[in-house]
Amino acid sequence: MNLEAYQGLPSTVAGVGPDLVNAPMIRHWCEAMGDANPAYTAAGAEAFAPPAMLQAWTMGSSGRRGHFNALMRELETAGFASVVATDCEQQYARPLRIGERVLFESDIESVSAEKRTALGTGYFITTRMDVRAYDEAAGEKPGEATPVGTHRFRILKFRPAERAERPQGVDAKPRRPRPVVNRDNAGYWEGVAAGELRFQRCDACGTARFPWLPGCNACGSDRWHAEAASGAGEVYSKVVVHHPLPPAFGTKPYTVALVELAEDVRVVANVVGAAPEDIAIGTPVRLGFQRYDEELELPVFHLAGPDRLPPLRVPLTRTLIVSGAIASRDYQDVHHDAELARAKGAPDIFMNILTTNGLVGRYVTDWTGPDARIESIAIRLGVPAYPGDELQFSGEVTERGEDGRLVLAVRGTNRLGVHVSGTVTVTVNVTRKVGRATT
Amino acid sequence: MSLHRADTLGGRAAVVGIGATEFSKDSGRSELKLAVEAVHAALDDAGLTPADVDGLVTFTMDSNPEITVAQAAGIGELSFFSRIHYGGGAACATVQQAAMAVATGVAEVVVCYRAFNERSGHRFGSGLQSRQPSAEGVAMGWTMPPGLLTPASWVALHAARYLHTYRLSPDVLGHVAVADRRHAAANPAAYFYQRPITLAEHAASRWIVEPLRLLDCCQETDGGQAVVVTSVERARELRHAPAVIAAAAQGAGRAQEAMTSFYRDDLTGLPELGVVARQLWGSSGLGPQDIDTAVLYDHFTPFVLMQLEEFGFCARGEAADFAADGGLELGGRLPVNTHGGQLGEAYLHGMNGIAEGVRQLRGSSVNQVADASAVLVTAGTGVPTSGLVLTADG
Repeated sequence: MNLEAYQGLPSTVAGVGPDLVNAPMIRHWCEAMGDANPAYTAAGAEAFAPPAMLQAWTMGSSGRRGHFNALMRELETAGFASVVATDCEQQYARPLRIGERVLFESDIESVSAEKRTALGTGYFITTRMDVRAYDEAAGEKPGEATPVGTHRFRILKFRPAERAERPQGVDAKPRRPRPVVNRDNAGYWEGVAAGELRFQRCDACGTARFPWLPGCNACGSDRWHAEAASGAGEVYSKVVVHHPLPPAFGTKPYTVALVELAEDVRVVANVVGAAPEDIAIGTPVRLGFQRYDEELELPVFHLAGPDRLPPLRVPLTRTLIVSGAIASRDYQDVHHDAELARAKGAPDIFMNILTTNGLVGRYVTDWTGPDARIESIAIRLGVPAYPGDELQFSGEVTERGEDGRLVLAVRGTNRLGVHVSGTVTVTVNVTRKVGRATT
Repeated sequence: MSLHRADTLGGRAAVVGIGATEFSKDSGRSELKLAVEAVHAALDDAGLTPADVDGLVTFTMDSNPEITVAQAAGIGELSFFSRIHYGGGAACATVQQAAMAVATGVAEVVVCYRAFNERSGHRFGSGLQSRQPSAEGVAMGWTMPPGLLTPASWVALHAARYLHTYRLSPDVLGHVAVADRRHAAANPAAYFYQRPITLAEHAASRWIVEPLRLLDCCQETDGGQAVVVTSVERARELRHAPAVIAAAAQGAGRAQEAMTSFYRDDLTGLPELGVVARQLWGSSGLGPQDIDTAVLYDHFTPFVLMQLEEFGFCARGEAADFAADGGLELGGRLPVNTHGGQLGEAYLHGMNGIAEGVRQLRGSSVNQVADASAVLVTAGTGVPTSGLVLTADG
């Protein structure tokens, strides 16, 4: 195969989006992603499409794809039949509004040398697309189209690894020790199931207590009620466990912290989404929850402060995965047909990159509010997202410009590890001081 | 003394025999066999026979029941048998139990023992998997799902706060490890005989649970240790000079847990040992300045520093300075763990430390402190615990 020859050739020529930017597709997208941003559903000219939908408007398009199709055929003939998207980098020059027609051109930017990956051996193919649009509904002509954004997309075209080489599936994962539950502390675990970290407060003397006990150490009273922690706290002490490393805790040293909550009780929990060296005694943290298997959900803590986004948990339902694929007009069978997904070596259907991208966009604007403008989203996928799991997003501000421009590092993890990591640039209304008040 | 008034136990009983098996990574025999061997060795040392024994005391964690040890050791009728809970915290309390039995006439000769294959069999350091939903299981259970599963991890969570509070580097823990290993190097019975370490080697050893390194952790051991207790009067007729039990005490703090007391106080001390210290000083009439050498429970180095502070050998936060420059070594401010401790000799749940306290009073330690006449011995740290002041007779 002379794959290098494809580099620089056009991937799509004269692409035309099949549908005008329209309210129903936007609404379907928002419903699938759980994105309640009112900016996307505002009346009339105020509304604009979620930026992460950029590629969706190009899907199912007309346009000549001769070179790209030839590249795919050549790889498939050589046995590299499977495909998975690994990276998506989008820059948004301006919002897309209802009634606009999308036009686009793309090039094959690069074809990698043969690579061995956890999924199997294959080639990374990167395409770069320029997207323009004009307001067809208002009578504009194609020649009046102006740039909307660019879209760089990387896929892995691969030969699936033999089963033995493949990483363990969801079900084979070793499990953490189970909580020890009896009548005295059942209320705590009921709280966890309800998304709360509950401690006890003595009815007689008002002392808050943890761990759960049927009586108060301060006064001996057996009358108490449960309260839910606000979620604010700080690291009171912390260790990094290196040895032994039980299989359920992964292959890298992990952090366990003693967190002192704002309510003056302490709990032992993991601090997630941060390297051990970034978790110091005194570090402010915020409560979150993480699901480890079908039985076990635990309170965890994320680094907090004005530069930290509050965590977002997204249950990975089959509905989300399928509706996200359809809302992004991605009809690849591995995203909606479990039988065919298994035939291609996956344990189940898995989320498509466009849905992940959409969720990243939602996570950011959930935090910034509707008057923020996302300028770019660049994500890389790690482990797949299968049904029955949960995605937990965390993020932090890595740069803060004076003009309200923020650069955010965002991560989404699930039981298998880091599903997505990426960078989002967003401009916020500086008068609202986004994030400053979330400590 | 009890928490509120002086007790009458001091000076009534003495340790008259000590005996142990070899300390190894694989004993090649049962825990019961180790217990029986240790009991026989201690009786031989005392010049007593199984027929003299009418009381036995051990740990609830020990797998060898008093009646089975008696059965296999040739011991007949027992008028007193007892077991103490909370892991290594039981060590000195077994001797307190024996002393109380002897002082009250409940028994005449009591043997305290601990024997296990903690290295070749179940290792505490391998980590918990599960616990029954008892009150005790629930207390431990809070820390298991997030992954605090080993003694090292529980101690480390205390140690991290201590080091943070006093702005100390984990490297200061090396002073304890170096002292223990220096002492062990001179002790043929020690696992680390002739293998001293340097501060640099400590600082270069790999992390187990940060801030604890490999050389902050004790040597998990197979073995058995026993001590024989009888009245001071009878002791004076026996082979060795008596090690008089000048004071013996147990202690649990407010809101005490077993290894997981994370939810109280400021995590920079060991309140349960403060309870023990108040009683030992009050009952013996001695204070830190009177102690010639101490055996401070050392399954992990950080709690040795905290004990120095709890017992008043130095002020809060100053133990690292106290331990620096050989402060805990033979010839230093307070020679500690002259047998090599559990880091250097063997991890026998503290019972081997009681034996070393006795050797110091007999003048037979491999690292003898000149004219030692008062020794402090402590039991497990981070748990409800106990302590002894042993003194020379007369």
